[in-house]
Amino acid sequence: MQTTVRRYMPLISLGAATVVLAVLPKTGVPQAWLLYLFYFFLFLAAANMWNLLAGYSGLLALCPAAFIGLAGYTMTILTWLDIPFYVGIIAGGAAAALFAAIISPSVFRMKGVYFAIGTLVVPEILRLVFLRWRPVGGELHGGGAGYMVKGMSGVTAEHRYWLALAIGVASIIVIGIILRSKFGLGLAAIRDNDATAASAGIDVFRLKLYSFVIGAFVTGIAGAIFYSHQGYIEPSAGFHIKWLMTALLATVIGGKGIEGGPLVGTIIVVILHFQLARYGELSLLIQGIILVIMMLAAPQGIMGLVRDVRKTGGVRALLRSVSRGRIKARQV
Amino acid sequence: MESLADLASPITIGVLLGGLYVVIALGLSLVFGVMKVINVAHGDLVILGSYLAFVASTSWGLDPILSLVVGIPLFFIMGIFIEKFLLHRAFRMSVDAALIVTFGISLIIQNGAQLVWTPLSRGLMTSYTLESLKIGDVYLPLVYLVDFVMAVVVVLAVHQFLKRTYLGQAITAASQDSQTAELMGINPARVYQIAFGIAMALAAIAGVSLALTFPFTPKSGVPFLIIAFGVIILGGLGSMVGTFIGGMIFGLSQTLGGHFWGPTGQLLVPFVMVLVVLTIRPQGLFGR
Repeated sequence: MQTTVRRYMPLISLGAATVVLAVLPKTGVPQAWLLYLFYFFLFLAAANMWNLLAGYSGLLALCPAAFIGLAGYTMTILTWLDIPFYVGIIAGGAAAALFAAIISPSVFRMKGVYFAIGTLVVPEILRLVFLRWRPVGGELHGGGAGYMVKGMSGVTAEHRYWLALAIGVASIIVIGIILRSKFGLGLAAIRDNDATAASAGIDVFRLKLYSFVIGAFVTGIAGAIFYSHQGYIEPSAGFHIKWLMTALLATVIGGKGIEGGPLVGTIIVVILHFQLARYGELSLLIQGIILVIMMLAAPQGIMGLVRDVRKTGGVRALLRSVSRGRIKARQV
Repeated sequence: MESLADLASPITIGVLLGGLYVVIALGLSLVFGVMKVINVAHGDLVILGSYLAFVASTSWGLDPILSLVVGIPLFFIMGIFIEKFLLHRAFRMSVDAALIVTFGISLIIQNGAQLVWTPLSRGLMTSYTLESLKIGDVYLPLVYLVDFVMAVVVVLAVHQFLKRTYLGQAITAASQDSQTAELMGINPARVYQIAFGIAMALAAIAGVSLALTFPFTPKSGVPFLIIAFGVIILGGLGSMVGTFIGGMIFGLSQTLGGHFWGPTGQLLVPFVMVLVVLTIRPQGLFGR
């Protein structure tokens, strides 16, 4: 009995938290809180998916901006064709996933750092393509001028909040399911050593492809929801490196390759995002410093630190063992 | 019907522009070749070099190229410190960790520059900025020629340094096999510091070159970083000759792309080429 409760504890607390967060807009909390939470859910989805790719699949994919921008554009362009935006959001995720599947044969040929560079170039190419391409709306719209999202009358901030909540929770569930399945086991094997994994009968390409496509889909949906809130999309912001930055910062601060990492990291990133927003460039400067210090001081992130503390039995024991050099900085 | 004479101008400009890209990409290529670290902050370090030249010319009235006498040693020392105190620890952990640290450094430089120098677009005005030479039907802006000459000098200097001096050979050895190099009495930690210092000095030179040619803002580093990646991918990571030819190809395809498809075609053509090369030959045209 005890073990069953323990086993379902995370699921129960996730469910309870979801219910509380879902009724929050109806309790009359300040609009600003809802906005913070809206950003939190979207960043969480992006961070969870980046963790799936970089932390569990060994794919240091520097292209979340490609998925977000592409999904945002798909959603926006579909609203111009009189298709409701919620259909556009799903279509956006699907477009991002399709794009991931299309580029995978070429980008997966690159290993390690080559993969990282190759994927870093992808959003830049998309940005240049969308600077030229005007799929709808004639000469006055599109290109560098971007598009307004149409047909959003009657959609309130609450609706978008619930959408964001849904994708945030969904990203947690997706990660949870993947990590507890055979698929997750295969991914762990690939991350640790892909040659050995392949010789043990794991289809390395297919597993990586699945996680790349799933990551693209969920990240894309989060991006499309973000642009339904923004109401406007243009190439430079849509494919901006700051999307990568957000996902990466949240994952690294929380703990890369740890299930709860992005959750903790995203809380900190969102607090930083809003607390430092009034300082403009100082905000990103401070985020940069935090990133460097975090990486050097606690490469495993906050959750990694917590895990180490638990394992060694308290903070003092950890400090002692670190000073004795028993725990070396482990592989990130 | 396009005549060859119409193409003469984009072709020469493309080659000269390629020179600028080579200098920007060289530091990145060196750090990658030696340390196997992708220095995402390289573009911003180049822009920092541009600002240094900007300060030198506006506050002290120094010619930007002359200001390198101060800039190169300053950047070299800065590079050694960055490697010693920030990168080295991360580098020992893993390649990803080093990548993330350089990402953080990039943010710090970008936004620090924005605080100090404001987001305004700057440019270097010298007596020769607007001069151009007329050769046949082709007008050559003098600064492009300066960029190209600087590129050739820098590539030859780095090549000779790596080939002829003890230190250069040590760097090459450590990049080929750091463990064996260590057995031969080379201290890889020291070699990495010096290599990063040289990469930073190259960033200072590239910064001056860039500032002479284009206006720049604190955020200009990222597009040039991505261009530099393109150049390196085309030429092959860590290959000096490859970087040079990659830069030429990139510059040429950019100006020819602009000639045939208008301004937005400029960068699209080289980047599509980069993706094609990556798919067919992931190690680059000249990579091992």
